[in-house]
Amino acid sequence: MTGFWYRCVWAAVSIWIGAAAASAAPLTPPQRLALMQDFCAGGAAQRTAIDRLVSVGVADDHDWSARVMTALRNGGFVCRQSGSPVIIGSGVALDASTLQPVGEAPAELPYVPSIVMMRALAVASAELDLFSPKTETRRAAAAQVDRKFAALNPALVERALANEHDADIKRTLSVALAKRGLNSELPAERLKAIAAVAQVPSETSRTLLTNFLADHKDTLDPASVRATQAALRTIDEWLLIGKVCSVLFSGLSYAGILLCAALGLSIVFGLLGVINLAHGEFIMIGAYTTFVVERLMQAHLPGMFNAYIFVAIPVAFVVCAICGMLLEVCVIRFLYRRPLETLLATWAVSIALIKLVQITFGSQNVEFITPAFLNGGMQMFAGFFITWNRIFAIVLALGIFATAYGLIRHTRFGLLIRATTQRRDTARSLGVPAERIDRLAFGLGAGLAGLAGVVLTQITSVNPSMGTSFVVDAFMVVVLGGAGSLVGTAVSSLALGEINQVIEPLYGAVAAKVAVLVLIVLIIQRRPQGLFALKTRV
Amino acid sequence: MSKLAPMLPRQRPYSFALLFVALAAYLPLANFLISAESAFHLSLFGVNLIGQIVCFAMLALALDFVWGLVGILSLGHGVFFGIGGYVMGFYLLNAAYSETKVLPDFMLFMGWHDFPAALRIFEHLPAALGLGIAAAVAAAGVFGLTTFRARINGVYFSIITQALTYALMLLLFNNDLGLGGNNGLTGFTSIAGYRLAEVSTQVWLATASCIALAGAYLLLRAIADSSLGHTLVAVRDDEARLRFLGYRTDRIKLFTWCLSAAVAAVAGMLYVPQVGIINPTIVSPVLSVEIAVWVAIGGRGTLIGAVLGAILVNSLKFWLSAKAPSVWPFILAGITLLITLFLSNGLWSGATLLLRARKTSS
Repeated sequence: MTGFWYRCVWAAVSIWIGAAAASAAPLTPPQRLALMQDFCAGGAAQRTAIDRLVSVGVADDHDWSARVMTALRNGGFVCRQSGSPVIIGSGVALDASTLQPVGEAPAELPYVPSIVMMRALAVASAELDLFSPKTETRRAAAAQVDRKFAALNPALVERALANEHDADIKRTLSVALAKRGLNSELPAERLKAIAAVAQVPSETSRTLLTNFLADHKDTLDPASVRATQAALRTIDEWLLIGKVCSVLFSGLSYAGILLCAALGLSIVFGLLGVINLAHGEFIMIGAYTTFVVERLMQAHLPGMFNAYIFVAIPVAFVVCAICGMLLEVCVIRFLYRRPLETLLATWAVSIALIKLVQITFGSQNVEFITPAFLNGGMQMFAGFFITWNRIFAIVLALGIFATAYGLIRHTRFGLLIRATTQRRDTARSLGVPAERIDRLAFGLGAGLAGLAGVVLTQITSVNPSMGTSFVVDAFMVVVLGGAGSLVGTAVSSLALGEINQVIEPLYGAVAAKVAVLVLIVLIIQRRPQGLFALKTRV
Repeated sequence: MSKLAPMLPRQRPYSFALLFVALAAYLPLANFLISAESAFHLSLFGVNLIGQIVCFAMLALALDFVWGLVGILSLGHGVFFGIGGYVMGFYLLNAAYSETKVLPDFMLFMGWHDFPAALRIFEHLPAALGLGIAAAVAAAGVFGLTTFRARINGVYFSIITQALTYALMLLLFNNDLGLGGNNGLTGFTSIAGYRLAEVSTQVWLATASCIALAGAYLLLRAIADSSLGHTLVAVRDDEARLRFLGYRTDRIKLFTWCLSAAVAAVAGMLYVPQVGIINPTIVSPVLSVEIAVWVAIGGRGTLIGAVLGAILVNSLKFWLSAKAPSVWPFILAGITLLITLFLSNGLWSGATLLLRARKTSS
């Protein structure tokens, strides 16, 4: 029983000690003075004083320590014959221990570090910065430590590593530590370093180990060689996994774009048997609508600027839906029994639209300012980097698909669309206003294309002819998935997106397109109406 | 699918070819004999323009043969035109190399030191002509075999041909393929020993194009008027019924498709020496849709309409895209929309209807 209480008290005490150590209690001025006098004494004590300065800064007195360090490096630190040293350079001379102004400027010359000391100070300063609350400062410091890895203080860097949350900085620090360890004379330390490098697989660490192996081929002991080779294998495995993941990820995001682009096409094709060659231009109009929204928000609502992408979603949908319905009213409805001529008529509309946009906005790419939250991305692990814009594309595509699916499957409007798609004449004789359904469905399809345009602004360049390159792929999705089938569209856009992105890095974009084409022709041999053909009796 | 006239209109079906024979006779006259002051004189530019337009007319003729007669809308006829063009380009490169012994620029960029042996098979003009047609027919055969057997019809077929065009264009844009990438093949000097820079060579090429068009028209017209031609129209109007009656409609379609590809390839082979360059834009999906637009404007299913449509649209295009480049797409779009909406069988059918109406009323 006493053992239990003993342990409890012990634990409480150790927690209290830990808390006391963590809470930053600045040094008293006499303690500071002692440290600096050691420094001013010169000789070997100077190095230990710097180490102490760093450890003091890391532990409890960061601000003061950083202040002195900067002064030391910039030639603003004046040792005096008697009394406290002085920091000059910021207009008024300060007492280095209390940071209070002193009366008159010192007569002595400031301290000028030697080249060796300069290097030591640079590392020391970077080490101090590793504990800065600002991520950017820490990142720069980590890069600095990595460059000067030979001079770093391993205990300190390990401590920084333990406190660090940012994966990127962590990786830099581990590599820096490992580099130092690899150059060590002690085999045990080398082995430890090799194992540490294997923990952080990346192209950099791979190059590091490969070079290490090549440089020390003759002098290295067999155990280290084996360990290095094993580490290289581990790193290669991870890099491969990373590569596979990033290919799958980019395939997924491409599939998202295809899904947005093809969904509207599929609904219209399934319902009306009409191929809308102007579909790509609705994508383009959606992108340009986003552009206009962006510029308007920039001019009139700069505070809300980052939200422009969300404002653009409904605006682009409505603009494109209106364009689509106009096209239906003016052209398509006269051509319903003549699908091939619809193709030509919509092509005519598409070249006119491209030229119109070219005249209005110019034929160059328009520049977009990416909203802050879509900039950059996150390193998941070695070689696998996800970018927020692609995540946005995937999420939006899923949202659009879910909405469209709900609309078609669970609303009255969707019911009428399905009825008209499956048996137009029966639906009409039961009182379904087929013409109005056609018009609304066409508007819906065009609106969905507009949403694809919004997503594309964050991923590719926006220019008047951007639609043509996407529309061919979107057609392929519809042909493969089966016209009018939402699930088919989703499955086939996923398949085509992944195939495209798997083949593209290996054999190039052309091979990807050709492979997709061949695959579709082969599949269509067995299933002429696509994978998920609807049973229709039009 | 709307029903066209059950049979082809039969006004002056064969004599139409005379128009191009006459043009073929006129071109050398107009350039060589008629003096430059005369209104009937044709400059090199004019002759060249006519030659190019006639090549496009031949391409439209090829498309109308499959679309108007059999009901297969190809949005990829530029592929066959391009195949013919590239093969002619290979021949012309051979000719240029044997003359100058200087490798074409793109081969130098590729780091080649010798003319590639694979292109040497196109060394002789007759061989190149045969190979060009053979290549186009082979490509059409493979593609047609897979698609027609799978009974891919209507817009599905059109979309797949468009994708094919797009894929081929991307392929040709690729520099590593060794076909000049986006610059294409150029730097031609002579054809069959005649210098391309000579006026007379260009005149004879344009003349040859006119004669080829007349010949192709007569050939296709003869097929269309034969009993095979009637079968073709039957395939267009009710393929299922014809199949039930025991016809192998896929073979019939394959035959037409390959023949059409051959005509398109010949057009491409005549086109390239006249423009002096062949690059991947010739197989861009846009041009291939445009061919269908020429046919639709002129009137499909009549062969004459397709030729006239191509000539009309291309003449307008040459004229307007120089005068008012930004207006041309709107005019083309406007014409296409008006024709598809209000005159679905095209200008030629409209004209013949008008003529017939006047004849019956008088």
